[in-house]
Amino acid sequence: MSDLDDFKATYFDECSELLTALEEEFAAIEAGERDSDRLNAVFRAIHSIKGGAGAFGFSALVGFAHAYETLLDYVRDGRIELTDDVVVLCIRANDIVADHVKAAQTGEALPADYGIDEKTRFDALARGESIADDDDNGEGPDEFDIDFTPVMVNLDAIHASGEAAVDDAFDMAPMQIESGHWEIKFTPHRALYARANDPLLLFRELAALGQMHVRAVLQEIPPLSDFEPFAVYCSWEITMVSPDLTEAMIREVFEFVEGDCDISVAQVGAAAIGQAEDTVAPAPVAKAVVAAPSEPDDLLALADDEVAGLLDFAPEPAAPAPTPAAAVQDTFEEAPGLSFAELAETIKPAAPVIKAAPIPMAKPTALAAAPVAEGEEGGSRSNGVQSIRVDLDKVDRVVNMVGELVITQSMLTQQMDETLRARYTELVRGLEVLAQTTRGLQDSVMAIRAQPVKSVFSRMPRLVRELATKTGKKIKLETIGENTEIDKTVIEQLSDPLTHMIRNSADHGIETPEKRLARGKPDTGTIRLSAEQAGGNILIIVEDDGAGINRERVLQVARDKGVVAPDVNPTEEQIDQLIFAPGFSTAEALSDISGRGVGMDVVLSNIKKIGGSVHVRSWTGKGTRMTLRLPLTLAVLDVMLVKVGDSPYVVPLSSIVETIQCSRASFERVPSGGQVLQVRGEYVQVIDLAKRFDMVTETDPENRFVVLCEAEGSHKVALIVDDIIGQQQVVIKSLEENFERVDGIAGGTILGDGNVALIVDVQGLKTAIVHKNAA
Amino acid sequence: MEALGMRDEMGDKSAIAAQNSLQLIAFSIGEQTYGVEITTVREIRAWNGATPLPNTREFVRGVINLRGTIVPIFDLRARFGDGQTSPTKNHVVVVMSVGDKWVGILVDAVSDILTVSRDDIHNVPEGNSIDTELLNGIVTHESRMVGLIDLHAVVSGAKMDA
Repeated sequence: MSDLDDFKATYFDECSELLTALEEEFAAIEAGERDSDRLNAVFRAIHSIKGGAGAFGFSALVGFAHAYETLLDYVRDGRIELTDDVVVLCIRANDIVADHVKAAQTGEALPADYGIDEKTRFDALARGESIADDDDNGEGPDEFDIDFTPVMVNLDAIHASGEAAVDDAFDMAPMQIESGHWEIKFTPHRALYARANDPLLLFRELAALGQMHVRAVLQEIPPLSDFEPFAVYCSWEITMVSPDLTEAMIREVFEFVEGDCDISVAQVGAAAIGQAEDTVAPAPVAKAVVAAPSEPDDLLALADDEVAGLLDFAPEPAAPAPTPAAAVQDTFEEAPGLSFAELAETIKPAAPVIKAAPIPMAKPTALAAAPVAEGEEGGSRSNGVQSIRVDLDKVDRVVNMVGELVITQSMLTQQMDETLRARYTELVRGLEVLAQTTRGLQDSVMAIRAQPVKSVFSRMPRLVRELATKTGKKIKLETIGENTEIDKTVIEQLSDPLTHMIRNSADHGIETPEKRLARGKPDTGTIRLSAEQAGGNILIIVEDDGAGINRERVLQVARDKGVVAPDVNPTEEQIDQLIFAPGFSTAEALSDISGRGVGMDVVLSNIKKIGGSVHVRSWTGKGTRMTLRLPLTLAVLDVMLVKVGDSPYVVPLSSIVETIQCSRASFERVPSGGQVLQVRGEYVQVIDLAKRFDMVTETDPENRFVVLCEAEGSHKVALIVDDIIGQQQVVIKSLEENFERVDGIAGGTILGDGNVALIVDVQGLKTAIVHKNAA
Repeated sequence: MEALGMRDEMGDKSAIAAQNSLQLIAFSIGEQTYGVEITTVREIRAWNGATPLPNTREFVRGVINLRGTIVPIFDLRARFGDGQTSPTKNHVVVVMSVGDKWVGILVDAVSDILTVSRDDIHNVPEGNSIDTELLNGIVTHESRMVGLIDLHAVVSGAKMDA
């Protein structure tokens, strides 16, 4: 069972990646990049999702994905034009697929008719366009991936005349291949169809490997009276010719359906294969051959007499007969290793002939593994970045060990005093190299964990679409800097806060179109989501051009809830920050968008958990800006090492504004007896760390230092320390792992000499003081 | 001076020991002997200083670096209310696991490894609240009284009261 669970987990991982990719593809398609690469990528993604869903029996997902896939297939073929409407429908379909995946993952049931409207529209589109297709006779520039000529199956004839007749009737145009080829017998079981696999797709995949000829074996089809609708009567014989085809490549195509079908692969005339390469057709002649069968009638004329006879008594083909002309041309251009005589044979309107154009396959692995066609081999292999999936725990272990290495290395360096340096020059040089290598190693390891924020950002367009629908507002989402990279752990923690912030903007910020027009703004509101690197931090900004925070209302609610005492008059900025107070919601009616009992306080606590901060600014009538400040990585911190009493402490460099010698700083007394620091006309709260931490200090007050820090919301605080030792990088260690949280301490780190230094929690210190004063 | 590899040595003995017996690491604080179950002890190391932790009670000596992990050190003498130990290089830290956490206990010296019968464990007599709070029981070994340390109790209440 656990194996199955593992597979499932992997499947859902893949789904989330694929859905992310879908968002990206459609963002590009929406922006006008309507090329076939994008469409193929979309098709592949949907097909992969469907394939896995079939294996796990998520039938609702399979059903929907299948309908969607059909639509995409038609779009890809050019049978359906990719209009803006279709794009919108597809984006909606992506959302529905995502919902289905989520439902499958969580086990929640979606309504039985979920997505039925879209499904109906797919069907309508597919039907409508395929009828039109008959009229224009497939003159579009894009033709089908797989051309086939329908063959009437005269069941009575089969059963009347026995097997000999069947052979005559259906084995009409075998590829007359003198040289080496592969013969594949493929007999699907019922389970194959039950798992949502489609032989057509397998053939497509095969077709990408080389020239192929597929013949359906229909002997098993019983008289109509014995026909069992769910039974499988059809099997296929496939002949493949390709100079560098191997059995493994063929087997790989059928990898997904192994066990659900009988498959045999045999090579015939292997020795001759090399020769075939020499007989590749020159292009001009190929065109001449192509020119002939441009109409279905001509094709019929080309066929064997028997075929013509058979088709004769079939007044109309059962399905529209697409012109194979374009396909034939492709066949010539793309399939190496065949003489034309052979090719000419293969285009006879017999059993389905599949063109050998390199079709991007449903299964990415197959695509990567299969050299598509000769000239393209190199290209398709070098495409894309190779990657492996690694358990994050393993990476964390490496990160930790590199951290230890950095510490040991700096310890060694510190141990080198002048006499040793003078005596052991080789050792010194070795240590210098070690320092460089260690630093490089550390950077590389950190880079492994870094990921573009794209993976979170890409989930947001869908959220905004949903919010717009639910609120009846017009909202546009702009994303900037989505390639900014942050530590993976930080990214993981980012999704919830961002979702809340965007919900907040859409629900409270952006006004209805009418209101916006009345205020002289465009009726569509904009939410801008941006990421940028600022020193050791990443800034993520969610900005909207909505109404801004209704301060009167916020203050009113805060007073009602007792968050703010009646006699306190907070500043505008303080009121804005109130939206982060626990349990605070100003939504006038509890909509199902916000007001679910989780509010902006969750954002604050989530962000704090990963060492970040949130700041909000609002302009009445103009909009709101929420800024998340996040550490670049959770594992390594740039710090300033200071001394308080006898103990080493470190202050995160990112929060330090400047350092001043006490003798040069101007302190002022305040009535309470406390001190404030005056810096460039600003009065800043002073915290003497020695007093705060109950340390005994013997340093002359004049020789001590002020470390001016910036806490949350750009509030400054001046820390007094005994000495400043220097800057360094440290690896953060948790105190809570073996102890408990200590006020004013954000954690610990290990210094070069092996001793522990505590990390000062600037924000925590400030908050603790406020509490003390309040009490 | 480094950790004594005591656990391996004890492997055979513990196999011999009946289910009913208990193996203790005994250590001394002044004249008094205390013990903890040997299975909780991770290593024993010499006192080498600790980084003080602010805003904690007197019996928290601070934190040390144990191969990259930060481990808090508790002064057992101070925990019993006898004032902080003035540690020398001869003082010892016994690193133990309490639940899923590792903690160190600063003691004067490790004295012995004892095997006692569970039947010989007596309740702590009522009276001194510190004793009843911090000891699980009292066991007699060769006419010495050994107090069984309740590690959970020792490490609790480390933070200063707000």
